[in-house]
Amino acid sequence: MQDPRLRLFTLVVLSLASFFSVAGALGAFMWWLAATPRTKALPRPRVLLPLFAMIALTALVSALGGGDGLSYLLRMSVILLLGAWAYAGTEEGEVLSVAVWALGNRKGFDIGLIAEMGLAGLAVIQEEIEQVWVAMRLKGIRPGLRSIVPLAIILIITEIRRTDDVARLLTVRGYTAGGEICPRFQRGSNDILASISAVLLGILPTLFLRDVFILL
Amino acid sequence: MRVELEEVLFSRGAFCLRASGAFDEGVHIVSGPVGSGKSTLAVLLAGLMPPASGVVRWQGVNSVLLLLQFPEHQITSPTVAKEAASWGLVPEEVLALADLEERADDDPFNLSRGELKRLTLACAFTRDPDLLLLDEPFSSLYCERNGWFCGMIEERGSGVTIIFSHEHAVLPRVDAIWEMDGGALRGCGSVPGAIPSWRHAPAYLTYALEMGARPENIRLADAREALCRIRD
Repeated sequence: MQDPRLRLFTLVVLSLASFFSVAGALGAFMWWLAATPRTKALPRPRVLLPLFAMIALTALVSALGGGDGLSYLLRMSVILLLGAWAYAGTEEGEVLSVAVWALGNRKGFDIGLIAEMGLAGLAVIQEEIEQVWVAMRLKGIRPGLRSIVPLAIILIITEIRRTDDVARLLTVRGYTAGGEICPRFQRGSNDILASISAVLLGILPTLFLRDVFILL
Repeated sequence: MRVELEEVLFSRGAFCLRASGAFDEGVHIVSGPVGSGKSTLAVLLAGLMPPASGVVRWQGVNSVLLLLQFPEHQITSPTVAKEAASWGLVPEEVLALADLEERADDDPFNLSRGELKRLTLACAFTRDPDLLLLDEPFSSLYCERNGWFCGMIEERGSGVTIIFSHEHAVLPRVDAIWEMDGGALRGCGSVPGAIPSWRHAPAYLTYALEMGARPENIRLADAREALCRIRD
């Protein structure tokens, strides 16, 4: 999907549908199967598996506490797949362009800039995790709970420091608020069709099932 | 103890690395401009990445350690003392060697680049692996610390030590010279015979050779001594 506005819209619709019901999640999953490059849009297993493990662990805790862990697992896994697809397709500057298009050069620019920095930070974190794995391998440290906790602390502290550096850099360059850009978007031939099908597959199953349950 | 590269080929995008040769026990320097493939060769020799084709053989090498170019990439612990311990070492011993005893409880990221480099170098030399790969070990070190580092290399009694560097000011005594150029590894040979064919030789060595001197090794002191000999 080339148009970032439609990509963001689709992501929001399908994520909400997945979050609120299993039927919505199944619809969103079918859309993901039909309209995305599927596994080609996924990050490397080293990145994806820990994220999935966190969802699975939360689902397990929920199930043990009497909650519907399986439903949580299904819904969050689909949201993870959708997020990975949207992240893989997002190019530098697109989020800023969408925010300015939607909210203007003042608030839109600020929100877009924050979102752009957040996305850039994700790529940096991914790189840092890779570096830490290499460092652990060189030192002969086996990955485990004992080593992962201090590593997580290091990564968080590093990110906070980087954020502080970026804030100082923006101040030094004279940034106060807002900015001016002229967003331009390209639309692929299937973008609109994919967005409409996302709305149908994401929302209609939820409405349909609710109606069925009301009738019952 | 030796490391052999047999027609090793590695490519990433437009960059292609080709290397063949054997690194015997002793100190080797691999020089070359930035982007010539030195770091990639170091990673291949450490076994962190497999080559696309060819073979890397470690004969009689039981332990390998690569010191990365950027010391902050090697950090895995929240304090300087714990960082030393994460290498499986006694922190007091390492911190004394790195002259960082008073920073034991500090966050490693609060150290300067030079201090961090000293810490990782001290850890690497205390650990004393059979194969020690040092990627740009001189970068970020203060001038007076370059001498400290060269001393540690020269005092290392055994094993294969390979220095990947484009440093042209302070160098240690080495046994063999290699060059990387455009992704290709070229062995210049053993020192001192290899010095005249070393294209990336520092200016003081080139000057000494132009003056007709024959330095015994690649250090500034060797060039000075050779010049003194011909002047006498």
